[in-house]
This record gives sequence, C-alpha cells and structure tokens, in this order.
Amino acid sequence: MASGQRWRQARRSCTYLLGSLLSGVVTILALPLLLVPNLARRWADRHRARAARLLGAPAVPAGGSTSRSLLWLPVNVVAGVVLGLPALLCAGNIVVALIATPLWWAFRLEDRPRLFVDVPVTGWPTALTLGPLQILLLGLLAYLCFPPVARAHARICLLVLSHTANEQLAERVAVLTRSRADVLDAHGAELRRIERDLHDGTQARLVAIAMRLAVARQAFTDNPRDDEFVAGLLQDAHTGTEEAMAELREVIRTVYPPILADRGLTGALTAVTTRCGVPVRLDIGELERVPAAVEAVVYFAVAEALTNVTKHSQATEASVRLSRTADRLSVVITDNGTGGADEGRGTGITGIRGRVLALDGTIDINSPAGGPTVITLELPCG
Amino acid sequence: MRVVIAEDNVLLSTGLELLLGRAGFQIAAVAVDAPAFLAAVREHRPDVTIVDVRLPPSFRDEGIRAALQARKEHPGLPVLVLSQYVEQQYAAELLSSSAGGVGYLLKDRVSRVDEFVDAVRRVAAGGTAMDPEVIAGLVQRAGDPIAALTPREREVLALMAQGHDNNAIAGQLVITDNAVHKHIGNIFAKLGLAVTDSGHRRVLAVLAHLNAAGT
Repeated sequence: MASGQRWRQARRSCTYLLGSLLSGVVTILALPLLLVPNLARRWADRHRARAARLLGAPAVPAGGSTSRSLLWLPVNVVAGVVLGLPALLCAGNIVVALIATPLWWAFRLEDRPRLFVDVPVTGWPTALTLGPLQILLLGLLAYLCFPPVARAHARICLLVLSHTANEQLAERVAVLTRSRADVLDAHGAELRRIERDLHDGTQARLVAIAMRLAVARQAFTDNPRDDEFVAGLLQDAHTGTEEAMAELREVIRTVYPPILADRGLTGALTAVTTRCGVPVRLDIGELERVPAAVEAVVYFAVAEALTNVTKHSQATEASVRLSRTADRLSVVITDNGTGGADEGRGTGITGIRGRVLALDGTIDINSPAGGPTVITLELPCG
Repeated sequence: MRVVIAEDNVLLSTGLELLLGRAGFQIAAVAVDAPAFLAAVREHRPDVTIVDVRLPPSFRDEGIRAALQARKEHPGLPVLVLSQYVEQQYAAELLSSSAGGVGYLLKDRVSRVDEFVDAVRRVAAGGTAMDPEVIAGLVQRAGDPIAALTPREREVLALMAQGHDNNAIAGQLVITDNAVHKHIGNIFAKLGLAVTDSGHRRVLAVLAHLNAAGT
C-alpha cells in the first residue's frame, strides 16, 4: 500500500477514534435523552453508518432494533473511552511537542512544558532533541496503531448493531410480503384496466356495429328500399370498425408493446430512442435473459422518461444505460436539461414507479432545479 | 397486375384476395410464411407484393425481414408491408432498402378500399405509400424546421410524405393543383430542399429530411 494512502488512513482513523471518544462522553451526558427508543435508534444508526463507512462495508439500511440500539449505549461509552482515550493522549502529546519545541522559552519557568511525560524543557538542547523525538515516536505509534484500533471499534459497533441473519431474514420476508401484495394489487388493477378498456371501448363498438349491420340487412330487403338509409348505416358501421381497431391497438400497446415482442428489449429500446426528439445515446451491456415483465417495465420507463425529456427538460442530449449484475438489471436515464422533474405534476412517472415497485424493484429520480436529471431503476431478474 | 401476398391469417388473406380481385388484381400466390413468400416471388415475379409484418414461426418481424430479403434478391421489387401497428423504425428500414416502390400501412387502412387499392397501385408503379401515423410521428419529431410551415403547408407535407401526388393532394384538401404546386414550392424553400422532381424521389427527399431533422 502506498505510504500516502496509509497516512490518509491513519488520519481518518484518528478522527474516527477522537469522534468515538467524544460520542462516548456525549452518551454519558445525554443518557436520559438517549434512552428514548426513537432517539436511541437514530443515535445507533449514525454510529452504524459511520462504522460501515470506515470499514468500507456496504451501507446498511437504517432502522435497527430498539434493544440493540439501547445495548449500544453502554458499549459505546466503554469502547469510546477505552479506545479513544489513548488516541487522544497520543494526538495531544504530538500537539504538545509541536508547541514546546519552538516555543518552550515563552512559558514561565515553573510552567515550562514537559516532554516524555515528565521531562521539563529548560533549554534548546532538550527542546531540539526530545521534541522531534516525541513527535516521531508518537507519530509512528499513530501511523501503526490507529487504523487497526479504529477498525476494532467499528467492528464492535457493527457487531452490536448489525442485524443477525435471523433478523435480516425476517426483514426480507416482511419486505417481500409487502411487495408481493403490491404485485397482486398492481396485477389486479392492470387486469381491471384492460377489462374496462375492452369492455367499454372495443366490445361496445362491436355491438353497435353489429346492430347497424343487422338493421342494414333488414332494410336492404325492404320494399321500396331506402338506399340512402342503408348506405348511412353501412357508413356508420365502417367508421365504427375503424375506431374499434384504433382502440384495440392502443390497448394492446399498453399491455405489451408489440415492438418488444418483435425485436426484444434491445431492438425496442433502439426504436424508442430513435423516435425521441433529442439525440439519445443508448448503451446496452450484456443482459442475458431478462424476464418479459421486467423488459416491459424497462421499456415503459424509458419511453416515459424520454417523452418527458422531449417535452419538459429542454435537454439537447440524453443517454440510456442498461447493465446487468448477477441478479439485477439497472437502468440509468440521464439528460442535460433543466431538471426539476416533479413527480406530482404528471401521472406518467407515478405509473412507472408503481410498475417498478410491483416487481420488487427500486426507482430513484434525482432532478435538482437546473439539472441534470438522473433516473435510476434497479430491477431484480434472477 | 399480379400480386403475391404473405399473410398467415386466413381471414385476412381471403379478405385481401376478395378485395384485390374485385379491383382487377390477379393473385398469383398467397404464402403463409417467409420462405414460401420468397419462393413465390422467385417463381411468379409479381408486379407488387403485400406482406404482413408478423409471420410464422415466431410471429415477430419475419415479414419485414422477408420483405427486405426479397428486395435484395430482386432490386426494385415493390413491397407493401401491412401491420397491426406502425413503428417508425420499420418504415426507416424499408425506405432505405434499395429503390423501387415501397409501402407501409396499418391493416386498418385496408377497410378504406379505394384508398388501399390506390396505395397498392402507387407502390406497384414505384411510388410510396406511408401510413399517416408514421408521417405524423416523423413530423412531430422533426420539431423546429416544421414549425416554420403554415398549418396548410403541414397538411400538404404530410400527404406528400405519405406518397400522394399533386393531383391526389389537391383532391383531398379540396384545393386547386396550382395551389398545391405553390404550397410545395414554399415547403421546399422553407426546409431548404431543392425542388428536383416529383414522385418517389421527392417523397424520399422529404422523408429523409424529416428523419434527419428528428435525430
């Protein structure tokens, strides 16, 4: 490891340990407050996130159990003092030496600073030998010991606060139960929508057409025959079939986009991006097999996002990036527009969010005023 | 005029046969999949072909691929592709596939018998028949350059891009040939296109322009 990096690590560890000491002291002082479960949980979450950061471990979602958060209070005090105090002494004595070496003479005789715990600095020879030596020795100590000690503290923290395998499993089951209910709701809503569209639209039109044709057939054999009347009915029936076809096409498109069936996800996204009003860079990695439901959601999400790019963003370019890790498909849609995308304004993004959540996926919309807008989707496809 | 049809749905193919037969076309063959279609084209050398986008075995875009393949084997072969939905991507692929008449229409349009038969004749004669929905998409996408056109000029542009000649445009908009001529002059001037000739090449120029403007 490069020494520069080691030094950075030592500095970070020093900050961490001093912070731990401070937090231990704060814990003692604010104990009555921290016994409130809600605050205890937040206090524990902070420490857990901090420890995870130091260890470079993946960030753990906030919201641990209350009992563990309360347990953390005494552990935090003990670990913070035991591990943080030596760090404070070490760092403090480096500071003392840094001041004593050039400025020893500025102190009154009886207050002369002391190096190596109890050696008073009385003249330049002592200052120039003992001062740098103390800095060097303690610096070396810090360089070598701070990182492992800080890591030990962080591990203790995670050990106390991390969920056990059982807790993680229970949480996962709760999330899955919720999302499965969402899936069923979304699925049911989707079926009802299709049923309503077909029932109120296409089916009603076909009935109307059939009636007109039946009447036209009867009227055709009337004597005398009213040609104009028959022609009018046929005309109406004809118009009705055209409207029914247009409606049916729209229903089909919202169920499963035909281009997706024809060309797969890559082909369908190519078509969507070339249709977009601004130039779009499409970057699709190796995707392997993606479930049809996921493909459809990705297609609708990209289509909706690019429609918004064209309509609202004033962007001059956009990009769509798809990549696959073991069991997740991630989609990132960015544009260089003015940002400020507001989910409350249109129903489009809300609909997409519903579809994404229904598949146990996540969607994140980051669109600060002034841009750029970044929409990130993560969908499970294992 | 001899036609080869590629359509696997019997209801639709008999409908097409009935309709085209009454309009004076001779149905040389009805193929139910891509290989049969290519074989029929080789055997009958038809004046025009009508192809459904979705064909067996996988009912994806076999029809488009068969049409492109047939045009590769027989340059200039007029192809009219029918589909339940239109996709600009397919239109672009068809238009860029060698010379010769080309059409891409929603199946819905078949029910307007006169217009459909006119489209088939136009394609057979080396012209273009693009579905209004394709053109509407292109025009919408083109944005800025189109904004300079008056509403009437936009109507003329859309009809021209669909493949209609001046006569037909005048008929549909109920204006004189002269007026159409003037509108077209204005459109080409505003879009910065050279008024070269009429017919297929003019349509291609307009479509290429719309395509380029949109990307």
